[in-house]
Amino acid sequence: MSYSDKSVLICDDSILARKQLKDAICEFCDGITIYEGKNGQEAVDLYQEHTPDLVLLDIVMPEMDGTTAVEKIIASDPNATVVIVSSVGTQLQLKKAITAGAKDFIQKPIDISQVHNLIKTHLGGE
Amino acid sequence: MYSQLFGSYLLRKEAVTPEQLADAIAKVGDAHIKLGTLAIHQGLMVASEVDEVCFLQTREDKRFGEIAIDRGYLTEDQVRDLLKSQIPDYLLLGQCLVESGAFSNADLETLMVDYQTENEMYDMDMNVENKEKITKLIERFFLVAEIPVTEYSVMYMELMFNNLIRFIGDDFTPLAPVPCSEYPVNYCVSQALHGKVNCISRIDMPKESAIAFASRYANQEFTEFDEYVQASLEDFINLHNGLFIVNISNEYSVELTLDPPMVESDETLTLSEASFVIPIIYPFGTIHLIVSLYGE
Repeated sequence: MSYSDKSVLICDDSILARKQLKDAICEFCDGITIYEGKNGQEAVDLYQEHTPDLVLLDIVMPEMDGTTAVEKIIASDPNATVVIVSSVGTQLQLKKAITAGAKDFIQKPIDISQVHNLIKTHLGGE
Repeated sequence: MYSQLFGSYLLRKEAVTPEQLADAIAKVGDAHIKLGTLAIHQGLMVASEVDEVCFLQTREDKRFGEIAIDRGYLTEDQVRDLLKSQIPDYLLLGQCLVESGAFSNADLETLMVDYQTENEMYDMDMNVENKEKITKLIERFFLVAEIPVTEYSVMYMELMFNNLIRFIGDDFTPLAPVPCSEYPVNYCVSQALHGKVNCISRIDMPKESAIAFASRYANQEFTEFDEYVQASLEDFINLHNGLFIVNISNEYSVELTLDPPMVESDETLTLSEASFVIPIIYPFGTIHLIVSLYGE
């Protein structure tokens, strides 16, 4: 299936985590557009510029954390699909992220099949 | 995790050199446990009997079990049970050290008994690792170094060893923790944890070791010290601390927060009073875990 009309924003301060997510998505989604950010503020700016179909956000990031970025993105677009991808998967963090408007939460380390399921759920496809 | 902590014990007791241990660790993956080693471990034969049967094997075309039965050292049922028993990983390490000539079967027998006694493992049921025993081993790991031990520090180190096994490889040996007030940096990544527990944890290693560490962590072959290598170290410590926070939250309902990982650029770190360093030996080099506690 072609994803040439779809786009994903990946925001994580780790270049390695961004690459792993990007590789996992590109392996599954032909033609998809990927935007990358390194902190919460860049996530907010890139979302407003491109309005991607899916946002994958880390929580612990410099300048602006992921939870604050979710709040700002949802405030600007209540229909935004934001998923948290973090190693800090406590119930409290999960609650905060969901309260802020995140649709889902993936615990690191990144599991490729989880990323693929996420794509199917939020962007469609087999 | 028994194997890594047994290796640490052997170094502390100066029963082996770091080179002998590294050599044996490299061989463990391809080694198969011998009946004689298992029989000593289970207290069914003493080392001299095993040595005798091994010697006779060079003269008689028979298996170890058959000779041991002939000599009355084992029964058929015992041989059958030994063949079916689960093999503790540290025993295989001990056997490799015997085979390489680092020490004898008799030494291994004594070292195993001393190790089990030191760690209050009286039931000899060390075939299957369980949480309670591992916790005791890690508590002991701190106590022999005369470093105050808390349930959080034990939990932190247990998770660290598990994460090293899971993400980097099980071929490491942790050395005893050392109290430390100053530390000369190679390439160091740090991360602060805040809340009921306030601490900074750091991992430090030479750049060459960092390339190998990152290659294992990311499952990619890195050849130079680049941003992906640096990110791998940051990811590892962030992942470890994130999982620690999840465990603390689940077990104690204590919520901690994390700062983003940082690279330490000072040449020498001045550490808090309650700081310790744990050198962890891998075949590709020694990494140092540095933990500084800052009270509640």
